[in-house]
Amino acid sequence: MARWGMVIDLDKCTGCQECTIACKEENNVPHGSPEEQRRRQDPYWHKVIAASEGEYPTANIEMVPMPCMHCDNPACVQVCPAKATFRRNDGIVMQNFRRCIGCKYCLVACPYGARAYNYKEQEEEEYNRIDPPLRRDLIGCWPFPHRTHGMVEKCTFCFHRIEQALMEGKEIGTEVVPACVEACPAKARKFGDLDDPNSEVSILLSNRDAITLREAMGTKPKVHYLTK
Amino acid sequence: MELNFVSVEGNSKNYKIALGILGGLTLLGLICFGLSYTKGHYLFGSSNVIPWGMPIVLAIYFIGLSAGSLILSTLVYVFGQEKYKPIGRMAVLLAIALIFGALVAIATDLGRPENFWRLFMFFYWNNMTSMFAINTILYGGYFVISIAYLGIIFSGSKLWMKRWGCLAIGWAAMVHMGTGAIFGFMAAREAWFSPIKPLEFLTAAVTSGVALLIVVLVLTMKFTGRDLKKEMVVSLSRLLIVFICVLALLIFLDKMTHLYAPERAAVLYSLTGKYSWIFWCLQIGLVIIVPLAILFNKKLKSIKWIFIASLSVVVGIFFERFFLVIPQAAFPQQYYPGHIEGVYGAIGSFPITPVEMGMSLGIVTMVGLLFLLGLKFMKALPEKTPEEVAAAAAKTAPPTTEVPVKSDAPASAGT
Repeated sequence: MARWGMVIDLDKCTGCQECTIACKEENNVPHGSPEEQRRRQDPYWHKVIAASEGEYPTANIEMVPMPCMHCDNPACVQVCPAKATFRRNDGIVMQNFRRCIGCKYCLVACPYGARAYNYKEQEEEEYNRIDPPLRRDLIGCWPFPHRTHGMVEKCTFCFHRIEQALMEGKEIGTEVVPACVEACPAKARKFGDLDDPNSEVSILLSNRDAITLREAMGTKPKVHYLTK
Repeated sequence: MELNFVSVEGNSKNYKIALGILGGLTLLGLICFGLSYTKGHYLFGSSNVIPWGMPIVLAIYFIGLSAGSLILSTLVYVFGQEKYKPIGRMAVLLAIALIFGALVAIATDLGRPENFWRLFMFFYWNNMTSMFAINTILYGGYFVISIAYLGIIFSGSKLWMKRWGCLAIGWAAMVHMGTGAIFGFMAAREAWFSPIKPLEFLTAAVTSGVALLIVVLVLTMKFTGRDLKKEMVVSLSRLLIVFICVLALLIFLDKMTHLYAPERAAVLYSLTGKYSWIFWCLQIGLVIIVPLAILFNKKLKSIKWIFIASLSVVVGIFFERFFLVIPQAAFPQQYYPGHIEGVYGAIGSFPITPVEMGMSLGIVTMVGLLFLLGLKFMKALPEKTPEEVAAAAAKTAPPTTEVPVKSDAPASAGT
């Protein structure tokens, strides 16, 4: 079984937010009004944070794109009381909307703020993604794209693309990648199998200095960052 | 001395007015809940930064009061402190009303309350590594145990009272430590992450339980025209002093542990930032300083002053919970070294919204309503002595005789 992971080159990232937009388009994540964004009530699956350090002459700002880290040791799966959040065998951490009770405990436990709660009934008109036929033996219950308020949502590593590619026999990581990886104009993001030593991500990780965020939390994220 | 228990008759005007007001406010809460359920939680103040709001504050507050109240009742039935006997039944009744309120509060905070039943699919559809799921067992069990306990008390079997009381006291302690663990085990939330949280919660529970017991005792005895023994209140207040001191020590240790470690930004913010007044004035002030100042003052050793001190503790513990759940969660997480700009590094805001407050008020009044109804349908109050009856008869023109228990009242539990 593959172990999907992502490598983000912070040296190449320009902070253009194309990945955020691509994610919103692909997964129909609602945009949220400015008021909702100010109050942090808008759902988001991907964010780009700007971390600044130092004072004016030597100031530095680092743009850090943050999807869900899809941890190997996920804090959210540990605390979910209803088994709504689970880690698939290929390492993707998923949210089952039918089981979610909306207790927001995972929001509390996630050290990366990767999860968002759906605060209201969202319009679904913008949705125009062509889904593969639902293979419930492969992916379990997955009622998306229908979303109701009162549930926690998160990034899925575009698992629907991966499933479709597996069915069609395409190569994942080169031919088929998640929407954010596909959209990145600077080619800062790479996606692939971390367990495969010949995959692009494995080669990058072995050649460059890589970090994961908040390593002290012990969550073992599968999103790695190449430092500047 | 044999002590008989009676129920209130529930025909007086005051009782009916109280019932009406509480019922109306509960209805208001129900309407607010309906709004939040159909429209979504954007009507609440919570956000992705501060995920939990007033319902959770109320839930852990009620669980604390309930556990404290039940532990207190075991003083009578397990440890044989006969002097507290008049309040024993009331304490258990209160504990049941409060835990029910807490469960309702948790259910209203869920985004999908219709999936509440999933929490009770123990070990099957439940993820037992979740503190929340473990606590569901504790809360559910606690609810059942305390109802059975009340039944046993009514049945009057001394041996079973003692046995079941032992179970109840242990379970109540576990319930509250489990609640503390929900917060204390969250490594991602710096201000919550603390091994001392379960113990702090337990102490806070017992403290607020004693204080609430004094408040309810004084109020009930006053409004039903019974004579209150001063020694009992004073000895309860001594207990209160001990618990407040232990609580103060635990709070101090908790904050010092957080402040001593270099990663102290979140706790430092909560102690010095915009909302620190909630901690210093409402938590420390009302829970520790005001009550201790009153209770250690020899001149203020009257029921009235002890009542004020207890009320201050009860209100203060509420703000302790509030401070824990809301302002302490507001500090943004440090995803990456450096200062995070923009909304992802901003301190969370928590607007006070009418729907959330209406719903919270409804939950509080529902507990009051349950308690009042419980007093009517169960024999929870100590019987009046003949002198008290005479005094009451002399005071009011239409005497509200409550000595003969209504035989047509619906059967009280356990009899």
